[in-house]
Amino acid sequence: MTNQRSPMSFREKSAWISLVSLVVVFGTYFSYIGMVMAGLARNRFALFLVMVAVFIIAEVVLHLAIATQSPRDARTPKDEREQVIELKATRTAFYVLLVSAFGSIGTVHLRLSDPDDHLWLMMQAILFSIVFAEAVKFARQIVLYRRDA
Amino acid sequence: MDTAIRNTIRRLRFDHREMTQQELADRIGVTRQTVNAIELGKYSPSLEVAFRIAAVFRVPLDQVFQYDGDRTASEKKKV
Repeated sequence: MTNQRSPMSFREKSAWISLVSLVVVFGTYFSYIGMVMAGLARNRFALFLVMVAVFIIAEVVLHLAIATQSPRDARTPKDEREQVIELKATRTAFYVLLVSAFGSIGTVHLRLSDPDDHLWLMMQAILFSIVFAEAVKFARQIVLYRRDA
Repeated sequence: MDTAIRNTIRRLRFDHREMTQQELADRIGVTRQTVNAIELGKYSPSLEVAFRIAAVFRVPLDQVFQYDGDRTASEKKKV
């Protein structure tokens, strides 16, 4: 009989994959955006599309890898505890999104030389809000899984 | 945070030919990690899952789960 901390479940591994993929891919993207804002690089919309494609590919490949390791767990639908964990994490992420979306609106008050930059900056801020909220959701899921909650 | 519900699942598993957490999980339709969380008192299962656990061990529900609300209340008072 075992009564120790469980090894990582499929869902927890999945949350880790999504969090790391999100941070690596969009961390790279927003680093580039930071360079654009500092005038060190040119704005390229294609980069956003490339990053989304890389994120999707990373998610699919890594999830396939863990599904191959434990196919039964991958096929099993989420049980009630896993659904509760997802709901709790989503609720936390909602508040993060709410606050950061309001923060994005605040970018209109920044003094920029070109008025068109406001639209671009707000778009980036909203995108950052979404990515940040998603990252918080996955991080909260991992914390709840680690606590055996 | 631990729940106010104690359980005897570990004992019952032992008494049933040392049933593993995975076996119990498969029979009640949850993951092994969820069985572990229930056993450790970290997660209170739904009434349906609680009844399924009792049915697996062929015992009444109150033989599997016991409400320990008084202990929780006294712990809260201390805080």
